[in-house]
This record gives sequence, structure tokens and C-alpha cells, in this order.
Amino acid sequence: MTDSSLPVLRYDVSDRFLRLAAAWKEQSRHMSNTAQMAMLRSYQQIIGMGELAVPLLLEELRREPDHWFWALEAITQENPVPKDAVGKVRLMAQAWVEWGVRERYLSA
Amino acid sequence: MTANADFPRLTTVNHRDTSPPTVDYNCIAWAAEDTENWWQPGMVWIPADWPADDFGLGALEAVFRSLGYADCGQDAGLESGSQKVALYGSGFVYTHAARQLPSGKWTSKLGKGEDIEHSTPEDVGGGLYGEVVQLMKRAVPMAATAGNPGQPS
Repeated sequence: MTDSSLPVLRYDVSDRFLRLAAAWKEQSRHMSNTAQMAMLRSYQQIIGMGELAVPLLLEELRREPDHWFWALEAITQENPVPKDAVGKVRLMAQAWVEWGVRERYLSA
Repeated sequence: MTANADFPRLTTVNHRDTSPPTVDYNCIAWAAEDTENWWQPGMVWIPADWPADDFGLGALEAVFRSLGYADCGQDAGLESGSQKVALYGSGFVYTHAARQLPSGKWTSKLGKGEDIEHSTPEDVGGGLYGEVVQLMKRAVPMAATAGNPGQPS
């Protein structure tokens, strides 16, 4: 791989993530069981993207809170959600976004 | 909400939307009359020590047993002094819970989507949620059964 191929790779990762995330949102829209949501093929493929997906997941979480927590925890092995925010999706998203800024995955 | 692959039995006659979509709470929370939390094992669940990785039908039954409900057979009809819930499953996992309103109709939160009022528990089955696997009821004070339809008390 040459240096000049890197921008192409980044574009492909972002494009692939956006396609998978859109598919997952559509497929999981009416689900209440987060285990079911996480078992969807699109979600599993996002987890399979590994650390490359982390800034994209965090950006998506900042744009629209949703159940990306399972994927983020699986990839990063972190859980920055404080106890009193557990179950409150918007506060959980906020905790992950703040973590992402601290860890330099996201700009402030 | 219109009939689609997720809800093949919904028609314009048997249901109506009663809220905009929100990710703040799910159907389990809504059936338990909580609009502030997304209920799932390992996050918000009762009993609180329920295993975080057990998303089976027993998990859902345990929630409503903890809330004072008991199995009531196959009778989804309105009973004075009782509140009923319907539990749904597909395969081994729970998929949904719906709560009976004082009118005898039912209310469901559709995942991250809308709340709807529907005529029977079966109206939201047949697709994504599978079928009703259990009906449960608990006694409620008479005043509560004549309360505000669709709204948590």
C-alpha cells in the first residue's frame, strides 16, 4: 500500500459505514430488544470494521443518539457511561461523545 | 404507521399513532409505564440482578412478575379491576410487550418508533415481533382503570 492510497481507503471506510448504519437504522427501527439489534448483519459488519469505525460511530451518536453502545464497547472495551445515565439513551450518547473527544477520536 | 413487513396485520382501522417516534424509552418501559428509560437486561431491568446477557422470554416474564403481574391464560379481554400486558417472542428471544388500556384497547411503543393504540394484542404480531406468547394481569385500583388512556399513571 502506498501513501497515496490512504485517502481512498478512508473514503471507502466512511462510505461503507454510512451504508451499513443506514441499513441498520432501517432494520432496527421497530426493535426493542437490543440483543436483536446487535445481531443484525449490518451491525455485526460495523463491529467487524474495528477501530476504524469508532470515530464514525461517535459522530453518528453525536448526530442522532441510538443504540451504538454495544458496538463501541465491543470495539474499544471501554464503557464511559456513568451509573446514573444508564438506560437514558441521550445521556449515554453524550457520555460516549465526551469520551470520544477526550480520546481524540472526535473534535470538540 | 402503515402495514409493512414488520407489522403485516396493522390496518388503518385497527390502530392509530399516539406519539411521535423517540429513542428515550422502549416497549418494555412503556408497558411498565416508564417513559424515561430504555429497558434491557444489564441496563435497566427488574429484578436488578437479572443476567445482562439473558434476553430470553423468561427475562420479560420476570419483569412483569416483579411488577405484580401473574399469568392469565389466553383471555385478552377487559376485566374490571385488572390491568393486562401481552408478551411477544420470536424464537427464544423476547421481542415486545404491550399494555391494555382502560378502554380495553392496547398500547404499544414500536421500538425506537411511535406509540400506537391498537385493537387487539395480535394486531402487532405476525411479523417482526412474532406472536403473543403470554398474557399476564395484575389487580389495579378501580380509579386507575378509569384513568387517562395511553398515559402513564
